[in-house]
Amino acid sequence: MKQIIFHYVWSSNKKEIDMKGSNLGEFQEIVLLSILILDDEAYGLKIQQELSTRLKRKMSRGALHTALTRLEEKGFISSHTGGATAERGGRRKRFYTLTNAGKESLKQARELREEMWSLVPKLSLS
Amino acid sequence: MIGGQLPKLYLKLFEWFCKAELFEELQGDLEEAFEENIKLYGVRKARNIYRLEVLKMIRLSVVGFGQFHSKLNHFSMFRNYLKTSMRSLMKNPLSSFINIFGLSMAIGVCVFTYGFARWTFDTDQFHEQKDRIYLVTSVYDQEDGFPASGITPRPLAKVLAADISAIKNTCRIDYGRVILKHGDEVFHENIHLVDPEYLEFFTFPLKWGSPAALSNHNSIILSERMSEKYFGDENPVGETVIMMFNDQQRKTFEVAGVAQEFPTSRSFHFNFLINYDNIKLVAPDENSNDWGQSVAATLVEIDQPNELENTKKSMTKYLSLRNEKRDDLLISGFELEPLKTLHQKAHNIRSCFAFGSNSDEKAVLFLSIISVFIMALACFNYINIAIISASKRLKEIGIRKTIGASRRLVAVQFLIENLFVTCFALMIGLVLANYLFIPWFEGMFSFSMGFNIASVQLWSYLLGILLFTGISSGIYPALYISKFQVVGIFKGTIRFGRDNALTRILLGFQLILASLLIASGVMFTLNSSYMHNRSWGYEPLSLIYTRLSDPSAYQLLATLMSQNPEVKAVSGASGHLGRSHDDLIVDMPGRKLEVREMGVGAEYLAVTGLQLKTGRWFKAHHQEDKQAIIVNSSFVDSFSLNDPIGAVAKIDSVGYRVIGVVNDFHSYSFEENIEPTIFRLEDPERFNFMAIQVNPEKKLETYEALEKHWASLFPDVPFQGGYQEDTWGDYFREISIHGRFWRAVAVIAILLAGLGLYGLVSLNVAGRTKEFSVRKILGEDYWRMGIRIAKHYARLFGLALCLGGGISYYFVDTIFTISYAYHIPMNGWGVVASVFTLLVVLVLVVFVQLSMLKKRSVVKGLRTE
Repeated sequence: MKQIIFHYVWSSNKKEIDMKGSNLGEFQEIVLLSILILDDEAYGLKIQQELSTRLKRKMSRGALHTALTRLEEKGFISSHTGGATAERGGRRKRFYTLTNAGKESLKQARELREEMWSLVPKLSLS
Repeated sequence: MIGGQLPKLYLKLFEWFCKAELFEELQGDLEEAFEENIKLYGVRKARNIYRLEVLKMIRLSVVGFGQFHSKLNHFSMFRNYLKTSMRSLMKNPLSSFINIFGLSMAIGVCVFTYGFARWTFDTDQFHEQKDRIYLVTSVYDQEDGFPASGITPRPLAKVLAADISAIKNTCRIDYGRVILKHGDEVFHENIHLVDPEYLEFFTFPLKWGSPAALSNHNSIILSERMSEKYFGDENPVGETVIMMFNDQQRKTFEVAGVAQEFPTSRSFHFNFLINYDNIKLVAPDENSNDWGQSVAATLVEIDQPNELENTKKSMTKYLSLRNEKRDDLLISGFELEPLKTLHQKAHNIRSCFAFGSNSDEKAVLFLSIISVFIMALACFNYINIAIISASKRLKEIGIRKTIGASRRLVAVQFLIENLFVTCFALMIGLVLANYLFIPWFEGMFSFSMGFNIASVQLWSYLLGILLFTGISSGIYPALYISKFQVVGIFKGTIRFGRDNALTRILLGFQLILASLLIASGVMFTLNSSYMHNRSWGYEPLSLIYTRLSDPSAYQLLATLMSQNPEVKAVSGASGHLGRSHDDLIVDMPGRKLEVREMGVGAEYLAVTGLQLKTGRWFKAHHQEDKQAIIVNSSFVDSFSLNDPIGAVAKIDSVGYRVIGVVNDFHSYSFEENIEPTIFRLEDPERFNFMAIQVNPEKKLETYEALEKHWASLFPDVPFQGGYQEDTWGDYFREISIHGRFWRAVAVIAILLAGLGLYGLVSLNVAGRTKEFSVRKILGEDYWRMGIRIAKHYARLFGLALCLGGGISYYFVDTIFTISYAYHIPMNGWGVVASVFTLLVVLVLVVFVQLSMLKKRSVVKGLRTE
């Protein structure tokens, strides 16, 4: 019985990942970019702060967590825990880095944009 | 430390709902942000931000359904606890029985006490207007006695309503004694004359009819009981009754309403209500503008509590009006007693229209003490048995600890087990209270306390009891048992089956408590028989009496009765011992006091059997004696007269000479203190009572003869006589109920203490099975073994009984002083009986153990453990 349930949950998760494909939402794109910007320092709090200053709006750590989870599910980012620190009650940080798939989809998104930008007639912007 | 500044509750909350694997990083981030925020915005804002962040964490991706799994583990752990509890309950039926029985008894008593307290404190609280209605009381200048009286000047209500704007409404109450006739039903009845506001002031809803009818002078409103008495179950609205006020006055009233059954918890009610304007019929000389006259109660409605002081102040202007008319008894002020608390104050207000609940409050106090005692007995039993029987669970505890249960978990397990037992006991206790204790108590006092199982308050009280009992009885055993070291358990170095200092102290306490309750039971029983035999100060057994209805009645009836050979003497009086008296003010040099007064025939005092201490009786037809009084000893003491004979007492500025002193006597019951009393000569035309001294053996026949004569003389007026020994009504029944009640408590105490002792001794013997088996083999005789078992407790018993005896002596003495005005002189019988009973219990317990020891096989005994 347990096995059946497990199988069902596992396979349904998988299906979801396949379906979502490589499409990036705008918010996700920004999250990925901030991870790239932060480089070695890309852990939860820093990403949250980066996003808050860039987007000029407050954003909760909880909301960020949801986004990060989604991205990790899609395979765009990977994470690893850092060493223990003296700050933050000795709790370890979780650092995020982009996977190749992540970088690829960022690139795709950028190309798509640039391509479309190039097609915009100059007059209509001024 | 910055970590210490985090909002603890939110941290806990977050830790609770967050997925375990996410908690470290998320809390780390939040904490780091918190530290930065402190620098940026200060602690307060940082804490707020943290709180907000935690709340925003409540989302699918963070909230830990993953932890559900570990919750399931908890569940099965608790299920396991329950299973083990059940098993250990089943395995040790004796201990379980003692525990559950004791706790359910105690809980039953607690629930009963709760029910009674509820009933007491709910008195009158059903009146919706209780916060707005006040009783006006008059304050007297008198030195002693009651500080205030409910009797107020007659015109007061009218002028208050007219003059003082804060007073919205007023209502007067007066009483009348009438003969009520409907068809063949003729009875003497007490009626209330009230203003139409009565039914607005007090929440006595009507079953039939309308309250507005009270403004009609010809309407009468009945209580449900009276409606049943006269009309059965029928709706009587529209029927008529004839009210006879005296010989001349009679009036027909139409029934306009019937009240619903009154709530059980009330300090006053009515039988019949008629409009106050009928007062002329009751008191022909009534004058509603005469400040010298008075009314039984004046009630006012004041909506604004802050107007109270002003109202009182403005009421002082009426004092002079009243005091001009009655300079014999000056009023120094008026007070306003709120209806809400009236029942608590009523015993301090003379002639208050409501009864006080003071004696009930005393009873609540006693019951609470008793419940605490019994609860303590039961809890101590539990603790003792749990500690001693821990030996049987040692291996289980050892294994649990080895597998990884912490001390806390083991303690929790035992606490839960105890809560489980208490739960069980709670159910039984509730049933005991509802179907045994409360009906028994209600039956004894023939009242209903309206106990209702479906009340939120009751259940929250029960929950409180459950937790309190469960934890207070379980906490020590749980801590004690969970302390055992695993190594010690398996090595067998832990000594078990022995009582420690605590169990001994608790047992000692139990013995003391039990001896208190047993001594009370014995003393209350002794007291009730003592009271039965206590002299009333006169001869009630050879006395019958009857109330007289009109001025000629005495002469007519006395002539007839004197012819009866069994009648020794006949006399009359304006009042009668045990029935009624007047109050008046006596002025003597140095002291002015209110005393009881009775106008009597010359032979009345001798007929009733009062004993003359000094001086002489009245002489019939002696003109001089018209200005003479006979007083009782208490009168002499109150006025501190050295030589009472010849002293002159002023009554209404007329001087009366004391010619005799009678010994003190109890006119109503032993419940009240003996009051100073005077007797005056009175003309037979003004006698309200006739007292007849008869041959005690022929009392019944004489009484029937009296009844017959009455019926032939006054066929219209119901006979109102009685045996003198019945005048105290339920007093002796009540006294004997006290005995019964305390006996029941004592029985419960003996049972609990006995069971506890039995459990303790049997576990102790069980722990020494091997020792006794060896003794048996070596041929020690059983008597010695018995002494050996008993010896273990000898010192404890000695000490506890000495202490208990002393304490119970003072305990009973205190209770007696609080509850009775007169009681049996304290003696040592209660103490002796309680010591004796407890010793018998000990001997019995040892004896039972011995006989079990005799039967037990030695081989099995040696093989234990």
